[in-house]
Amino acid sequence: MKANLKSNLSWLLLMVVGFVLINFLVVIGVIDSFTENMLVTIGINIILAVGLNLVIGFSGQFSLGHAGFMAIGAYATGIMTLGGFDSFGGWIVSVLVGMAIAAVVAIIVGIPCFRLSGDYLAIATMGAAEIVRIVLNNMKITNGPAGLFNIPQYTTWPLVYVLTCLTTIVTVNFIHSRGGRAVMSVRDNEIAAEAMGINTTRWKLAAFVLGAVTAAIAGSLSASYIQTIAPSNYGIMQSVSILIIVVLGGMGSMTGTFVAAVVLGILDTVLQSFGVLRMVIYAIVLILMMVFKPSGLMGTNELSFARIFNYKKADKGEAKA
Amino acid sequence: MTTPILEAKELTQKFGGLTAVDNVSLHVGVDELVALIGPNGAGKTTLFNMLTGVNAPTEGDVYLAGEKITGKKAYAVAQMGISRTFQNIRLFSDMTVLENVLTALTNHYKESFVSSVLRLPSYYKTEDAMKEEAMKLLNDFGLASVAENRAGNLPYGAQRRVEIVRALATRPKVIFLDEPAAGMNPEETADLTRLIKKIQSEYHTAVLLIEHDMSLVMNIAERIYVLDHGHLLAEGTPKEIQDNPEVIKAYLGGDADADA
Repeated sequence: MKANLKSNLSWLLLMVVGFVLINFLVVIGVIDSFTENMLVTIGINIILAVGLNLVIGFSGQFSLGHAGFMAIGAYATGIMTLGGFDSFGGWIVSVLVGMAIAAVVAIIVGIPCFRLSGDYLAIATMGAAEIVRIVLNNMKITNGPAGLFNIPQYTTWPLVYVLTCLTTIVTVNFIHSRGGRAVMSVRDNEIAAEAMGINTTRWKLAAFVLGAVTAAIAGSLSASYIQTIAPSNYGIMQSVSILIIVVLGGMGSMTGTFVAAVVLGILDTVLQSFGVLRMVIYAIVLILMMVFKPSGLMGTNELSFARIFNYKKADKGEAKA
Repeated sequence: MTTPILEAKELTQKFGGLTAVDNVSLHVGVDELVALIGPNGAGKTTLFNMLTGVNAPTEGDVYLAGEKITGKKAYAVAQMGISRTFQNIRLFSDMTVLENVLTALTNHYKESFVSSVLRLPSYYKTEDAMKEEAMKLLNDFGLASVAENRAGNLPYGAQRRVEIVRALATRPKVIFLDEPAAGMNPEETADLTRLIKKIQSEYHTAVLLIEHDMSLVMNIAERIYVLDHGHLLAEGTPKEIQDNPEVIKAYLGGDADADA
């Protein structure tokens, strides 16, 4: 526990330092509203990609339906904050409602879909997300294809920052627990996991639900930041763009997801001045990446304070000997 | 005779028109070391799969410590006390050796989602207890030094041993070993022999062994079942099996002088 304390404190310190640094840059005006917009987008993408990485990289279930859960969170917040829950407290309630609905939908979708695997599962989850989108497209309360606008803005960069940290801590702590090992064993060898008494369906579902719930949080944040949502924002392309972050960072590496989300976020912003060429350059960067490092930026490795400390300790030990 | 820990009654498995296992009954006593032999395609693995709940038998029932386990899912059967290794090694190869063993301990420790996510003291307590039990097992089987290595990076013989330790970590009543000596050199096989005896004597676990390596089988098995074309051909002590003319004809080859 003491050894863990040191690395836990280091991570905490990193989070606080990051917060203070960004705050400082905002105050002195280095970060303008344009850059702040980029930071918020990166934060939301991190939440989405961390959740998807749990499902794809750690439990090994290829899901293409992440945008559907994001839509659920976004609409829960949109509908509720426009309809009487117009306060920060109301926003929080709307987030919780979105999380609950996303969890229920994930269970309903997951139970039949997890009989499948690989490509078939990807198509099934994609279909499930399409169902969510089409339901949103046809309901009165969601205002159909036109979507919702003038959603009260409660999302600020500190809120995104804090929630990014919290969802990541929850996800990473889950991975490093008994449940996380069960989830990874299913990824590595489902038949062996079953023979070791692991209820594979149950653990796959647990990871899927956790991923869905974090996606709903990200949806709520983005709805309350952009202030306008429409079903067409949550189509297959949105799922794919989250997938790109996960694949680029390395499936099975949470720190990789962070790096990829930041790199792509900055790239996206920088390329905006290139106009039409933007998407071409973006695509070329991705293709080069996949050709030269198909396992992603980090592979399955993590940046870890615990490892750095252990490394240093071993170094010292050798020096003494 | 005391009640057997594992009992299979008249198991039959049909795949379409093919009867892979036909009316086979067997039993394994408490702490007994039983071997199941037979030529390739005799139905040994099919029988294993029925006993461990991977496939449901077409007919017949399986009892574990008197309790019927037929039709239960593989993970439920495993939780009740049957553990196994695989003919082609199936480790969690991207996880460390220690994590492999910890995973097998999953169902023996309670750790709530909340306590692990918030890293409450109870989380550290369970984790430490799990690690202690896992390390003790690894230590016992000479694997403590590779505990932090990625399981897929170990040499073949060590991977086999990890698989056996992992199976043992589920605290089984019976452990099934599917051709553990396959691809091993004589030295590794001798090591394995000691290991299997240790499982039986120190961990008080019954062992059911499928094996082609006759020197290993005749050396450690207390009782042997011989399967041929889905039928039970013979049952008996190694001596009886060696002298059984039918077995010699079906399995050991036509030469009656064949020294196993």
